[in-house]
Amino acid sequence: MHYILEFCQWLNGTSWSTYIREGDYPFPIIESFHVIGLAFSVGVIMWLDLRFLGLVMRDEPIQSLVEQLEPWAMGGFLIMFVSGALLFLSEPMKCYNTLAFRLKVIMLILTGLNVMYFHAKLYARLPEFDKLPTPPWQLKMVGIVSFVFWFGIIVAGRWTAYF
Amino acid sequence: MTLLRFIPMGFFQWCEAVWPGHWIREATWIFAITETIHIMVLAVLLGTIFVVDLRLLGMGLKRRSAAQLAKDLMPWTLTSMVLMVLTGIPLFMSEAVRLADSVPFFYKMFFLALALITHFTIYRSSTQPGRAEGAGLGKVAACLSLACWFGVAIAGRAIAFV
Repeated sequence: MHYILEFCQWLNGTSWSTYIREGDYPFPIIESFHVIGLAFSVGVIMWLDLRFLGLVMRDEPIQSLVEQLEPWAMGGFLIMFVSGALLFLSEPMKCYNTLAFRLKVIMLILTGLNVMYFHAKLYARLPEFDKLPTPPWQLKMVGIVSFVFWFGIIVAGRWTAYF
Repeated sequence: MTLLRFIPMGFFQWCEAVWPGHWIREATWIFAITETIHIMVLAVLLGTIFVVDLRLLGMGLKRRSAAQLAKDLMPWTLTSMVLMVLTGIPLFMSEAVRLADSVPFFYKMFFLALALITHFTIYRSSTQPGRAEGAGLGKVAACLSLACWFGVAIAGRAIAFV
């Protein structure tokens, strides 16, 4: 794992990193995108998660909801990913040394795996699931994991400033 | 432009002196927790607003009418608004004196007032059942709503910087 530390140290010394870190405007502007992007990403995906749990729009077929919302969520996560990468780039050593940030990264990876599981194993079965009176346990599991982890990621992101 | 132009300093000092403001000032971890809840609820609130705004602009969840969507999401919108206020007030009170002089905070309140007025007037009438889809008023309401709420979020974030 030593190479992660070396990578962070190297990043810290690049001119891009210094530019974002030391300028008055770049960091606040990028961070604003990152915060606003919450609406486009978590704000959209949470409706899918709540639908998987059978809590909202129960009369809407899950497949059609996924098809309609996913493009927006993808756009939102792209904004989050790019702005997040730039924010990380500006203070890699602080992120490396912060427990909250490490937890955030771990949760991001786990959430990514959750999404991959949904698409690999469950997406093809959605027409079948839509015929059931309530969503099956697999969908509920994906929904709960996603919901809890995204909010955990938001919390960890905010607490990166503290420890 | 700051709140101090309209409200005397005595009010802000009083906010910091009474128990919610005073208590949170003393215990930083309570501030952190309250602020974290404030941000989580923000994601929910922006999510509800955003989905309906998209629909009013004819995008996103096209299968449902804007009126139906607004009705489905209404409990979430209202609950998150209430929670934002319930967490926001203690946060404000804990550093009222600093916020009295804060330009970003003034604009946050300005955009918030505008957002709430938009929400409970033209936005609400655009999402009445039976309203013609794609009506111009809906588009205006959606754009205004998005601009105001994003203004609140950006100004809110700027408070810490300025």
